Amino acid sequence: MQEQNIITIDHMSKSYPVAGKPFMALKDISLSFQKGEFSGIVGPSGSGKTTLLNIIGSLDAPTEGKAIVLGNDIASLSHKKAAALRNLHIGFIFQVFNLLPVYTVYENVEFALLLQKYTASERKKAVMQALDWVGLTDKAHKKPSKLSGGESQRVAIARAMVKKPQLLLADEPTANLDAENAHVILATMKKLNKELGTTFLFSTHDEKVMGYLKRIIHLRDGVVEKDLLV
Amino acid sequence: MKLAFNLSFKNLYGAGLRTLLNVLVLSFSFVIIILLNSIMDGWNAQAKRDTIAWEYGNGQLRYKDYDPVDSYSILDGHGVIPSAVEGLTPVLIHQASIYPQGRMMGIVLKGIPTDQSTVALPTYKLEESTAAFPVIIGKRFAESSKLSVGDQVLIRWRDRHGTFDANEVTVAAIFDSNVPTVDESQLWMSLDTLWEMTDLTNEATFFIADDSFKNVASEDWIFISQKELLSVIEELIATKKVSASILYILLLAIALLAIFDTQVLSIFRRQKEIGTYIALGMTRSRVVALFTIEGSMYSICALILASLYGTPFFIFLSKTGFAVAEADKEIGLAISDRIYPVYGISLVLSTIALVIISSTIVSFLPARKIAKINPVLALKGKQQ
Repeated sequence: MQEQNIITIDHMSKSYPVAGKPFMALKDISLSFQKGEFSGIVGPSGSGKTTLLNIIGSLDAPTEGKAIVLGNDIASLSHKKAAALRNLHIGFIFQVFNLLPVYTVYENVEFALLLQKYTASERKKAVMQALDWVGLTDKAHKKPSKLSGGESQRVAIARAMVKKPQLLLADEPTANLDAENAHVILATMKKLNKELGTTFLFSTHDEKVMGYLKRIIHLRDGVVEKDLLV
Repeated sequence: MKLAFNLSFKNLYGAGLRTLLNVLVLSFSFVIIILLNSIMDGWNAQAKRDTIAWEYGNGQLRYKDYDPVDSYSILDGHGVIPSAVEGLTPVLIHQASIYPQGRMMGIVLKGIPTDQSTVALPTYKLEESTAAFPVIIGKRFAESSKLSVGDQVLIRWRDRHGTFDANEVTVAAIFDSNVPTVDESQLWMSLDTLWEMTDLTNEATFFIADDSFKNVASEDWIFISQKELLSVIEELIATKKVSASILYILLLAIALLAIFDTQVLSIFRRQKEIGTYIALGMTRSRVVALFTIEGSMYSICALILASLYGTPFFIFLSKTGFAVAEADKEIGLAISDRIYPVYGISLVLSTIALVIISSTIVSFLPARKIAKINPVLALKGKQQ
């Protein structure tokens, strides 16, 4: 089922300078991900998880090899085309939430749609639906500073999911959350994965997250150590 | 664009005191620029209006050898009045001395028809006077020579043959004019009397044209239009404007520097936000535009603030005027006791354009850095 692969990584390496010397963050990695996967890249700090996610998310580019995401060769994408890819098809969830502090919850979620051609009524419907997914409709007009860590991350999920992307990349999404909130977040994402068929790709070293994953890819020193179906 | 304005406004609102200070200083710039220029424009308009009314009329027809800035040209700078002149008031100038209270003062005698109405000089007072040799003088000259209405003063002059003559003249009236060039060291008398005194009958140094004058080419007489005559005033006020502009350029520079610093700091502090915009699908050029608009929004807010407190202030000044210091009246240009500012639409629009464009430029300069930002480092807050 080659046509169902939405991510194909072929002999990809990534190096960047550290203290004036090249550091190999990823070494000759080959992976593929299919539509609807709920997978995670796990490994210790510095193993290359975030670098891999950033390349898949077109925020970075490989030094060698190929990364084909949703039919786009990341290395050859212009800034503008990479922005369009992220805008239309890829959602991001960050470890520190990265909500826009001057916007309300509603406006933070709406932001992703403002960059697309939605009418005001379409935006409102989509935002309220996304807040409903994460159970935050009653906090729509609060500022991020008034939310707990768990609530902030749920807003980030709503912001990432509101445009119904094909791919959602979550970089250590539970790192700043307590166990209870982490489970709520993960259950929410699992539910969205089932209901919407969105492909979820995590980077994590959190045992709680691993319990939810269907596929776990172990990275160590930039190399794929294990690729396990759970 | 709407998104950028909306987000910019929220960011500025969120920045609180820093925004307030930037906006306040920039609003001062708006008000000071408009105020100083409107005073200059008001002075310019008043000086032109008064000089036309008292001295220039609709232009001057000067004898070819007469140069108003060269006193040596007075002696020979007069000619016979051409025949069939219409719409012209002749003026003959002659050098003389007066001896008020035993002092000697160099003056010029100016002869003008007593029935003229081309300029505002009250020459009818010469006709009304019962004195043998009536003259009218300006208020400033009256003060410097300590002469009052009814005073008699000895004058001495040479006739056209170089022979000295002397007589006593009576001050028939003192006129109050803002135009120093019809006042300082000048005695205005009947043209017929001056012709008789100098034996220069039917001669004039220059003519003041009225609205009915039509220029006719002449070898001996050169017409200088009202516009050419006023250009001297415009040049002088333009020079004054340049020196006045130093004040508001400094103020504007301070405000722009504050915006620049705020932008640099803002871009450094808001790296994660910039990274998030890029991750959410904003192009870098759009993020640059967002920060540029945010910086230029200071000028929009300053404009609103300046109009709130500046408008009543400007209306007040336009009614009360701006008092002129005595020392400032000695610059040789028509200037009244109070200058009433003139707020032209072009002045207001050009000031708005100046402040908005300059604040946009200083906002754009640091924002350009965003175009080169590494979104991965920005998201981590590690972009240098």
